[in-house]
Amino acid sequence: MTKEWDELKQSLKKPATPEAMAEAAQAFKKYRVVQLAKGRGSKPTLVSLGKKQGYPNAVPVDKIPDELAKNPEFFKLMGRIVK
Amino acid sequence: MPVTLALADFDLPTRSASGFMLRYITPRVEPIQLLGILVRRLPFRLSAPQSDIIIGVGHGDVDVFTGQNEAVILKAGQYSPREVRGKVIKLLSCQTGVILGPNLVANGCAAFMGYTDDYVWVMDADLAKTPWADEMAATSLMPVVDGLNALLDGKTAREALNIELEGYSRNAEVEEDELIKACLEFNRDNAILLGDGGAKIRARPSLALPFKLIPPPPLIPPRR
Repeated sequence: MTKEWDELKQSLKKPATPEAMAEAAQAFKKYRVVQLAKGRGSKPTLVSLGKKQGYPNAVPVDKIPDELAKNPEFFKLMGRIVK
Repeated sequence: MPVTLALADFDLPTRSASGFMLRYITPRVEPIQLLGILVRRLPFRLSAPQSDIIIGVGHGDVDVFTGQNEAVILKAGQYSPREVRGKVIKLLSCQTGVILGPNLVANGCAAFMGYTDDYVWVMDADLAKTPWADEMAATSLMPVVDGLNALLDGKTAREALNIELEGYSRNAEVEEDELIKACLEFNRDNAILLGDGGAKIRARPSLALPFKLIPPPPLIPPRR
């Protein structure tokens, strides 16, 4: 596990306050910079088969920090995925 | 008895998931296949009672499975038990294992396989026309395909689910991207089987050679 991923995990364990969401967004940006350097897929997008769950069904990976920072429901979903 | 295959394909996630079914499942099952605009309640209601297995790809919630443009296909308590009695049902959809799955089993479905939380994966949006070529999405969707193929080979629902679960674990073990790995473990932990784990369907012939070698033509994304 990378240091950047561990930081993201820790930030997602917090309640969905604006501060915690901004922190998670920053942590994801740092993690992604490392992953992008490895290069894989031309437009990686996180998708789900949920129906009107309060977050988009498709979030380009480079937009995940924006969604994390503004959407508490998406923050909670990421918290469940990144355990 | 035919297979009822309901494959919504109106946005990125449904096109990606249905693309893998088109590539690896559709060629080996009989042609009651509801794709795109046909994934609606009426065609489903007519085809489901004739089938021994129902395979669905679409958006879902705890009590509902939807088809094209989120048209309701199955909603807890709002379908005829004839549509599900004695059948093996696999829904690749979010959260249907919470209320809809138990409701289907209570109405006579032999075995239900679904998920208790969102079904998530990372796909390459640039491959939306040929989703089966997407190696990132394959890490999550090929275990589903392998489980379904096991069912179509005549294995039990429990054996099919185990094959799917082992696929997630195997792929997670070798995955370097932590986000993809987390998605695989999340889907594995949320996959459930309800009803009779020993339920089987009639075995179908395996994928014919031409289909093993040649993928389908590229998909044409619908105009919105």
